[in-house]
Amino acid sequence: MHNDLDAGEEAPSTPEGESVAARVAFLIGGTGLFLAMATDAIAVLGRHTGFALLGSIEVVQACIVLIASSAMVFATLKGAHAAVHILTERLDLAMVARLARLSAVLSALMFLILAGGCLWLVADLWSGAERTELLHIPIVPLRLLQIVALLFIAALFLRTLFRRGTR
Amino acid sequence: MTPELIGLLGIAALLVLLAIGVPIGVGLAGVGLLGLAVLISPEAAVIKGGVIAFETVMKYELGVLPLFLLMAHLCFAAGASRDFFDVAARFVGHRRGGLALASIAGCAGFGAISGSSLATVATVGSAALPEMRRANYQPGFAAGALAAGGTLGSLIPPSGALIVFGIIAEQSIGKLFAAAIIPGLSQALFYMVAIGIMCYFRPALGPKSARVGWRDRLIGLGRIIDILLLVVFVIGGLMIGWFTPTEAASVGVVAALGLCVLRGAFNRRAIGDAVASTLRTAGMIYVVIIGAILFASFISVTGIADVMSQWVRDMHASPVLAIVFMALLLLLLGSFLDGLALMLLTTPIFLPIAVELGYSPIWFGIFLTRAMEIGFVHPPLGLNVYVIQGIAKDIPLGAIFRGIVPFLVADFFHLALIIAVPALTLWLPSVTGG
Amino acid sequence: EHVLTYASPYPPGHPFSRADREWMAEMERASGGRIAFRPYWSGALLSSDMSMEEIRHGVADIGLITPIYAKGGAHLLRVQSGFYGGVRDIAEQIAVYDCLAGRFSGFAKELHGLHVLAVQGGNFPGVLTRTRPIRHLEDFKGLRLRAQSDAVDVLKELGADPVNMPMSEVYSALAKGVIDGVIAPADTIKSLHFSEVAKHFTSIRFSRGAYPARAISDKAWRRLPQDLRDLLSDGRRTWEAALNRELLQAEADGIAFGRENGIDFASLPPEEQARFDGLYNRDAARQAERLRSIGIDGVPVFEAAQHLITTGSAGRCTRGGKL
Ligand code: NA
Ligand code: NA
Repeated sequence: MHNDLDAGEEAPSTPEGESVAARVAFLIGGTGLFLAMATDAIAVLGRHTGFALLGSIEVVQACIVLIASSAMVFATLKGAHAAVHILTERLDLAMVARLARLSAVLSALMFLILAGGCLWLVADLWSGAERTELLHIPIVPLRLLQIVALLFIAALFLRTLFRRGTR
Repeated sequence: MTPELIGLLGIAALLVLLAIGVPIGVGLAGVGLLGLAVLISPEAAVIKGGVIAFETVMKYELGVLPLFLLMAHLCFAAGASRDFFDVAARFVGHRRGGLALASIAGCAGFGAISGSSLATVATVGSAALPEMRRANYQPGFAAGALAAGGTLGSLIPPSGALIVFGIIAEQSIGKLFAAAIIPGLSQALFYMVAIGIMCYFRPALGPKSARVGWRDRLIGLGRIIDILLLVVFVIGGLMIGWFTPTEAASVGVVAALGLCVLRGAFNRRAIGDAVASTLRTAGMIYVVIIGAILFASFISVTGIADVMSQWVRDMHASPVLAIVFMALLLLLLGSFLDGLALMLLTTPIFLPIAVELGYSPIWFGIFLTRAMEIGFVHPPLGLNVYVIQGIAKDIPLGAIFRGIVPFLVADFFHLALIIAVPALTLWLPSVTGG
Repeated sequence: EHVLTYASPYPPGHPFSRADREWMAEMERASGGRIAFRPYWSGALLSSDMSMEEIRHGVADIGLITPIYAKGGAHLLRVQSGFYGGVRDIAEQIAVYDCLAGRFSGFAKELHGLHVLAVQGGNFPGVLTRTRPIRHLEDFKGLRLRAQSDAVDVLKELGADPVNMPMSEVYSALAKGVIDGVIAPADTIKSLHFSEVAKHFTSIRFSRGAYPARAISDKAWRRLPQDLRDLLSDGRRTWEAALNRELLQAEADGIAFGRENGIDFASLPPEEQARFDGLYNRDAARQAERLRSIGIDGVPVFEAAQHLITTGSAGRCTRGGKL
């Protein structure tokens, strides 16, 4: 399983817009992490002292959507997506740049398709009152958050493409 | 074109994409989506993509991953990985190869906090490698010990790999964690024996350092007592049943925050860094998992898995032989595939075969994780090796890989032991009831 | 001639899947080989809570659907499965469902884009407890029980402490005493190895209703000629009979396995079961009432279901649903 140390390089520059985005992603993700922690911890405490926190799983699930969506944005901003470098580190720079552009296009396309699929589902379920079973937490806002995240990631990939293109 | 052929083309396309540096998750998802579009319909592929993308980010069981990551990062901020190594070094540093032994112990200790191999090697390595080089350890040997030791992080619970396995194989994560304890500790033991043997024959690999008195040893031990308590509390509480594995992660984060307060590391910067590292890693993992599930969905539609399991059945080989064959295949795949992707890809294919051969799914999860770990250190794509190289850029890759060879030998013996004696894995979960 | 994909989230050896395979074999035979199926098991193609959406969009032609697990778009289908308090057996569950589906347009609305190929009832869940047996409703007091969400309110009224946790963690939670018991049908004694971690099973009829469980997408339906559509429509009986048989068999296996492995079986005295049914029905009525907040009128459906069950007239209602 993977982890933290940047195997790759840090994003070359962090313009104003991206650092705002990073802060927003950081805040949403951090909120999700600590809210999930608190919910589960209180549920455990409750179980051992005799009060029930029914539906804690649903709260945690909602938090995970916050965590995962913002984490995917954050990882993209920090250039942390896992990739294999054995071949690319042996090629000349022009070739590497071309492959990087191709990779950015493919990545943007893939995230756009995922966002499209999510949008289609939201459209279908818009009037279906999708919500969790016990606490009735509405799910559509969570889906929308993820869609925004996916679209933003696609935009980030496209942006690296243009930035590299003009250079 | 038959579906099987499309599947093979898909696998080939994936390898090409990965080779040109496309992010792993993107490659997996892209081929998966395209394959489903060809085999079923573009509409179905897009919908399936949407379903999987949301299902994955709302999965309760997967939520433990970011929380365990946060716990490890907070412990790291509190200096846990350095202290584990320091204390071990005080106890065994004066022996031949003592600091290497201490590195393994440090990895095992930090492995009980961290769910990942790379995090373990990175954090313990950054403390231990400079120390060993100051003591004139041969660089390749020192780096090899750390790269191998790091893999303990993904077997000793909490284990990210086992969490993912538990989710795809629908097995209890608590049972898997219990099952991993003895294999994890024996793996550390195997490495220590390997270090002992190497240093016995070539003392220059790891020269002795000055002996530290018992007083200083105990003082050192006192310094990590809080971290040890945290480990015992989280892992123990999980085994006794105070909390479920999913809750253990949250309880662990609370305890780790307490540790930060206790050690004066509770400040905005430290907590912020831990959250940022957690999000960065978690985001990367989520993309890979979404991709891998989509790709696995495509592969299962092609029917390749059925063809492969039919081969195994047609071989009429003994179960052990079939498992050995699987191990070889995993090691081969592990030489160019990321560990997580490898697990997500092979579980749906291999698990049914293993169960049919009479192996328990719990045992198989440990076996798979163990085989996958070896892929973290063996060439050409041993990710741990690249992490080590990131810490010490002057050690050539070749030297690190050479330094790993003896540990790989230990790995093979250990893997053989796990295959030969399933009870090593299955005894503890049967006692604790998972 | 017509190859249809079939997908289920269950593994091929599951009782549901055995019934599915029996149905497929029968349809292939009855069509003289003009229909063939390509099955995908274990969730390879369909998820468990979005399967209706997936089939609508052609991910699979035919598939197992579980409106009772859907979080949106099928609230009436989900909640109505709790309207069957007092129902006698699986056949009656299905008959009541058919009447309701024929009479209330809300059912068809939630099933748009799909054609139902089989309706499924379920075994009655009971209570499996570790150490304290349940002989009377009073015994529920203070017990921490894992329960599906539709049973939560009733359990609270009985003084129990219902908890939610993933089914995959129930075994170890029972082993360690994190929970005192679980609401589950008897087949789990064997299939989920609960006999290793619990001692007592009390059959309490948490009445479970029927729900549409197998469906074909409208797209695939329109590709078929009329005679094959008729064949699949008639095949409903085959499928339902096979499901019914497999469900009962699984329950019998669970009970037999439990007896061999030291589970003690009990049931509530009839008057307590009746009291329980009363509680259960009041809760179902409340749930029907609450559907109004999302624009669904569940109360007439509940009343009709109870009328059909108390008068025993579900069998006389034709498939079209007219009384
Ligand atoms: Na670990
Ligand atoms: Na590898």
